Amino acid sequence: MDFEFTSEQRLLQDSLRRYVDKAYSFEARTALLKAGKDGSADNWGLFAANGWLMAALPEEYGGLGGTLVDTVIIAQELGRGLVLEPFMACAVLAAQTLLATGSEAQKARLVPQLADGTYRIALAYGEAGSRGMPLPVTLQAEPVHDGFRLSGRKSLVLGAVGAKAFIVSAQIPQAPGISLLLVDADRPGLTCQTLPLHDGTWAQALHFDGVEVGADALLGEAGQGLSGLRQGLANGIVALCAELVGGMEKTIEVTADYLKVRQQFGVPIGSFQALQHRMADMAAELELARSSLHAALDAMANDDAVTRDRTVSASKMLICRAAKSVCGQGIQLHGGIGMTEEYLVGHYYKRAVVADLLLGSSDSHEAACAAALQAQLRA
Amino acid sequence: MDFQPDASLEAFREQVRGFLRDQVPADLKGQQRCTRSPREQITRWQKLLTERGWGAPYWPKEHGGTGWSVPQILVFDDECSAAGTPTLDGFVHKMLGPVLNSFATPEQKAEHLPPVFNGERLWCQGFSEPGAGSDLASLRTRAERDGDHYVVNGQKIWTSYAHDADWIFLLVRTNMDVKKQAGISFLLVDMRTPGITVRPIRSIDDAHHLNETFFDNVRVPVANLIGGEGQGWNITKFLLNNEHATVADLPELKRYMRELRLIGSTLQVDDQPLFEQPGFALKLARLDAELQAIEMLVQRVARLEQQHNPASHTLGSILKIRATELQQRMTEAQIEALADYGAIAYPHPHEADPQQPFPQQALARGISHDMFLRRASTIYGGTSEVQRGIIAKMLFQL
Ligand SMILES: Cc1cc2nc3c(=O)[nH]c(=O)nc-3n(C[C@H](O)[C@H](O)[C@H](O)COP(=O)(O)OP(=O)(O)OC[C@H]3O[C@@H](n4cnc5c(N)ncnc54)[C@H](O)[C@@H]3O)c2cc1C
Repeated sequence: MDFEFTSEQRLLQDSLRRYVDKAYSFEARTALLKAGKDGSADNWGLFAANGWLMAALPEEYGGLGGTLVDTVIIAQELGRGLVLEPFMACAVLAAQTLLATGSEAQKARLVPQLADGTYRIALAYGEAGSRGMPLPVTLQAEPVHDGFRLSGRKSLVLGAVGAKAFIVSAQIPQAPGISLLLVDADRPGLTCQTLPLHDGTWAQALHFDGVEVGADALLGEAGQGLSGLRQGLANGIVALCAELVGGMEKTIEVTADYLKVRQQFGVPIGSFQALQHRMADMAAELELARSSLHAALDAMANDDAVTRDRTVSASKMLICRAAKSVCGQGIQLHGGIGMTEEYLVGHYYKRAVVADLLLGSSDSHEAACAAALQAQLRA
Repeated sequence: MDFQPDASLEAFREQVRGFLRDQVPADLKGQQRCTRSPREQITRWQKLLTERGWGAPYWPKEHGGTGWSVPQILVFDDECSAAGTPTLDGFVHKMLGPVLNSFATPEQKAEHLPPVFNGERLWCQGFSEPGAGSDLASLRTRAERDGDHYVVNGQKIWTSYAHDADWIFLLVRTNMDVKKQAGISFLLVDMRTPGITVRPIRSIDDAHHLNETFFDNVRVPVANLIGGEGQGWNITKFLLNNEHATVADLPELKRYMRELRLIGSTLQVDDQPLFEQPGFALKLARLDAELQAIEMLVQRVARLEQQHNPASHTLGSILKIRATELQQRMTEAQIEALADYGAIAYPHPHEADPQQPFPQQALARGISHDMFLRRASTIYGGTSEVQRGIIAKMLFQL
């Protein structure tokens, strides 16, 4: 284990930091928010040109052959700038699910287009009853002559705006288990309701009303999709957690600066011990969160799927809760100004609140951890 | 001390319920109440209460109020919240009213009390300034005497509902040469006076409550001074010490608990209601235990406040900290209970319906607005950090 960045990793981090500081200022982001789309297509093209979309994709499919550590470096820097484009949702969650489940032919056809940013896919797995967890799935994919007919709903698909296709989790009656199918976004019978989220990003609720797809839409084997879905989700969660670590860093920096300049009672408010201790606690939460992210990376690299999922769930709840607390305190230490839409700390809090609820809420992941521990103790 | 049930209180509750059921029209019920209701509703609601003889529910009889006991007031607020009536203008009922009753001249009362009862004069509070938040006494807005007027110059900030207010009660500096607290005066200003500009500030709940309020050579009759020149700080302490039980916002806390239970019964997980999930039930249990304790604490503090007992100040600060933290945790718990639906930015309850309803809109709309706005509860009315300082000082002379 080594906690130091290699020189390539440092370069990657620097290039993202420069990009976010220059091109993604709070003002630039606010303008994008006002434009009301899920980020900008130009930015996505730029991410592709800089190699960020392909960093962790295999070389044989046009990627750079990096690892999840590269993804984490990218996500963390994007998180510092509250970047709106759906990097986590499309370039990690959906892309890694495709890698984990697609056939060679499917990957050879699709992954190069993900890598160069010309094609965007989103993962449609969550339903009203699953609350962001992979199970249960009720959407039906009924076999018809040379393909499937899909009926059902997906509740909150991230990165769906601008996606050309969805990876959809479904039940195929004759094949117990979960199956994944790739469905073009413009198929007849598919309706998408676009929903704004608190952090300025967008999701879609999908309604499949007898949507027909060909047999080649099936990713991998019928009924065998769950483990790949879990792997994709684990990757997505790690990227989301990395974003929050970046968000916490930025919140703490901005707050520390403010405590030095804001004067009350004739002194900088940073001279009040109550606030010094709060800042120390926020720093401690951040470092614990960072270490929890490292634990997740360790598990992703080394553990079997069950242990991996338990660790990733633990990180999800610990890091999301830390982020809500740190960013909430960021508002508190700013006083009234922290409550305003024109100031940045409130937006970090909003992102933390949203992240806490996506890909399974902290509460759901806590329950999953508890269940895994109980199973272990019983055995 | 005894905990005998009070039969007359239950009779009172029935009376309030009867009024709400029979005399309040449907379009004044079922409202979201975290923020101040729209003007037209406040006015209608105020008139209805006045007709019923309840126009000033929180004031003593000698000032035209109902003279209700603390438990009666809590019952009234609770029932109104449950029915979802509009809010009253809290600034005048809870803050300015007691000040007028204690410090105003007969002429000032004759000018300002009748409009309270017809609901046609809404107020806002002009205390905070860009440089004077927690350190309120350092405020710089100046009022200089010119004949029988003051000329006011300066800037206030975070003036809630200034854009929809007819009058403002203002802290101004009338004397630069004395200790900063001693130079402050309490002035009532008609918002239509030339020279006042109100600029909106949007808050993170994506709504407009807050404003900057600018005063540029605003001429205010000297007759609008409350108490004497330099009395402003004492009046402010009187006002702020009276508001702890109010800031706790018990009726809202109880509403949050009702809503949390509703979410738990409505959403389904694994073919069962959410409340069957141990994680949800345990969280509910912890919040419920705290709510019960806060409810008792509110009554203790409110009674001490009614008796003008100085012990209410420290206990009030304790209540303020813990109740506002509970507001935050309960609204967060609601959002968490909604799981991924909690991430959706539903339209504000006062906004028009979206063309196609959002999923779970009936259950979830308004919750996030409350949750984001509740981040301010630990900031306004004296921040939690400042309150903790007061507690340590008052209780332990630290
Ligand atoms: C939603 C909302 C509505 C409001 N409505 C009104 C209104 O209608 N009218 C009005 O006049 N004002 C209103 N306010 C203003 C409110 O009273 C102030 O925000 C509050 O007094 C804090 O002042 P500040 O914002 O300048 O923060 P600051 O005083 O600058 O505080 C910043 C941070 O420093 C901390 N701090 C300050 N002093 C100390 C100390 N001595 N020890 C330890 N920590 C300290 C604070 O706790 C806080 O964490 C409102 C505010 C909000 C957010």
